Amino acid sequence: MANEKQYSAWRAQQRMAPYLFIAPFCILFCVFGLYPILKSLYLAFHTTNGPRSLVFTGFDNFRFLLQDPDFYTALWNTSVFAFFSIFLQLPLALGLALLLNSTWLKGRTLFRFVFFAPNLMGQVFVGFLGVVIFSPRYGLFSRFLTAVAGVNPDIKWLLDERFVMPTLVLISLWMYVGYNSIYFLAALQSVDKELHEAASVDGAGPWDRFWHVTVPAIKPVILIVVLMSTIGSFQLFELPFNLLKGTSGPNKAGLTIVMYLYQRGFEVGNLGYASTIGWTLALIVMFISLVQKKLSERVRGHG
Amino acid sequence: MDYPPGKAPLAILIMAVVSGALLLLFPPKIEHGNLQIWTFADAHYRAYQSVLPDFQAKHPETHIDLQLVHERAVTSRLRSAFASDLPVPDMVEVEIKWAGSFFIGPLEDIGFVDLTDELKKPRPDGPPWIDRIVKSRFAPYTARRVTDGVASDHIFGLPHDVHPVLLAYRKDIFDAHGIDAEKLTTWDDFLREGRGLLKKMNANSKAGEMRHYLLNLNSSTSDELELLLFQNDGQIFSPDGAVRMDDETAVQMMLWYVPLVAGPDPIGYSLGTAMDFELVNNAQKDELLLCTLMPDWLSGYYQKYVDNASGKMALMPLPAFKPGGRRTSTRGGTMIGFTKKSRQFDVAWQLGLKLYFDPDLRVKQFREFNILPPLREAWKRPELNEANAYWSGQPLGKMYADQADNAPPQYSSPYVGLARAKLGEALSDCVRYYNSSGAAGFEDFVRKRLKQSADEVRLQERLNPYR
Repeated sequence: MANEKQYSAWRAQQRMAPYLFIAPFCILFCVFGLYPILKSLYLAFHTTNGPRSLVFTGFDNFRFLLQDPDFYTALWNTSVFAFFSIFLQLPLALGLALLLNSTWLKGRTLFRFVFFAPNLMGQVFVGFLGVVIFSPRYGLFSRFLTAVAGVNPDIKWLLDERFVMPTLVLISLWMYVGYNSIYFLAALQSVDKELHEAASVDGAGPWDRFWHVTVPAIKPVILIVVLMSTIGSFQLFELPFNLLKGTSGPNKAGLTIVMYLYQRGFEVGNLGYASTIGWTLALIVMFISLVQKKLSERVRGHG
Repeated sequence: MDYPPGKAPLAILIMAVVSGALLLLFPPKIEHGNLQIWTFADAHYRAYQSVLPDFQAKHPETHIDLQLVHERAVTSRLRSAFASDLPVPDMVEVEIKWAGSFFIGPLEDIGFVDLTDELKKPRPDGPPWIDRIVKSRFAPYTARRVTDGVASDHIFGLPHDVHPVLLAYRKDIFDAHGIDAEKLTTWDDFLREGRGLLKKMNANSKAGEMRHYLLNLNSSTSDELELLLFQNDGQIFSPDGAVRMDDETAVQMMLWYVPLVAGPDPIGYSLGTAMDFELVNNAQKDELLLCTLMPDWLSGYYQKYVDNASGKMALMPLPAFKPGGRRTSTRGGTMIGFTKKSRQFDVAWQLGLKLYFDPDLRVKQFREFNILPPLREAWKRPELNEANAYWSGQPLGKMYADQADNAPPQYSSPYVGLARAKLGEALSDCVRYYNSSGAAGFEDFVRKRLKQSADEVRLQERLNPYR
């Protein structure tokens, strides 16, 4: 009898054990992940002004979003930034990784640290630093260009709408080229050297070896980095927010989707509309990720 | 000891366990008082610290917890707390730009106490508070509601300041060129003389070299444009919250302002920030800007941080748009609000009155930060007449006080921040148009562009079901 009791207690324990192990995650996820997600979905269909004041607005927020010129500006700016993140930043990161992977380069460890270091500072600090570096006339960047190329020292890099996005892209290059190059470097180091040697024996030059040996070998990493950069670009907030001191920049030139969400939610106080923007952003990112996933499957299939 | 993930994770684990255990054993003494105040301004924080011990001694049952919180954090944390019914401080200082966004919706749902009746109550020591304060300063903290066709105004904050604006000019330069700036009483006179002065000073500068500019005017944000619009009796919103930024006054202001910052020979220039004092210091050294629109609070920062202008600058009332017209404007502001959730409004109210309307404290604050109190009786204090060596020996306080009653109102709306941004966008476009096409068709463009910006604000207003 006692044995039977012990056995059933042990059985119950065995049944419960997995749930107990995953319980901390589940509880934390439900409180800090699932509940806010569901609450934001609820808010997206309401206009709220405190807990006692909630007006159901149906799809009004979504309908409004479709005709909101500011949202389209934010979407355009974010897309432009994402475009440069992928088509400028990643090739440069790959180039840097190839350079750092070269056997003839001395002090590679130091260079790796130097190029990675800007990322350690974080976007908030870099934003503040950018304000000083890109200030007109007295900023480091203006002084450098004036000294080297005689450029007008009074160019307002952060106050002239033509220069805001290039400045953002330039800063993000500085921050993220080194960071992404670490991924590429890790991938390059795992490429089988024998493949290169075999290709050389078959008469392949450096360019052919790069295209036909290196790139196929690191393709999975490239796809991951592209995906991460795209998602990261669509979530851009801290850098332009601090660089432009919480504003959208001249003529909204630095307004990103997340900044727009913040402005509507926390500056105007319309949490319902902010939730709508958030859900739209989530759908956009999901769509892009799906497209990239399909493309990567096709590329892998070809590989 | 063998720890499979490695030595570094082991070290981190040990540190986490040890520090966690220490925190549990010796929890930090965080004194959460039962009367909490949030302020976002360092100057206010320091000034209040000196008053609190005395007030605390008179109210031993109350423990006061003064916290310095970043301006944006005040706004977002307070909004989140109001929205989710979480604890809020008893008293909060809110920046003028964001104040209106807390007055949205039915009166009973606003998180702040309606102070109108308290301010109108007769007082034993003189007239009610509302009559002792510069009237225009209540406007940004007032919400108007119309019931059965009757409008009623509800005040939700005490004004900390007036922030009148004077014109700071480089007296040394004007004197050296024989110009008596104080005789330039209208903008027409000022710009005519100023352009002549600039022409002389810039005569030898070539492309790519340093130039001099007459006035700090931004060509992409609305800060100075708005200030000048207020001076000229313009507004962004009407008292009942309707968008006014495309009315005739605003159009005429834009037509006047843009040629100052655009075209072949602009006289206005902006460093992008008034608060980066290393930049401003360098700019003063290079005589980059000959004049600066100077609210009282900024004059305090100049005194503290802009050494290169010490003794070289003087203040004068702003030139008027018309002879005999208004000689000042206003920029910036702070209110203190009392939250409905506070369980001790009476003590909070007394403390609020002490911090904002106590002449002794406010004069002390003026001497440290140059911020003119909104309480008229404090302007008579001799400290405000003291000669200020930084400002060429002028009686700074008296100069600001002389203009303070003329400070224009800034009417409240939840969309003030948005409207300002939209005005800045309109300005950017108008500047671009003027740079490319000059005066041809400019007026039509300004009208259309301002209307576009105003309509964009109106569009956002449509999302507010309480309008």
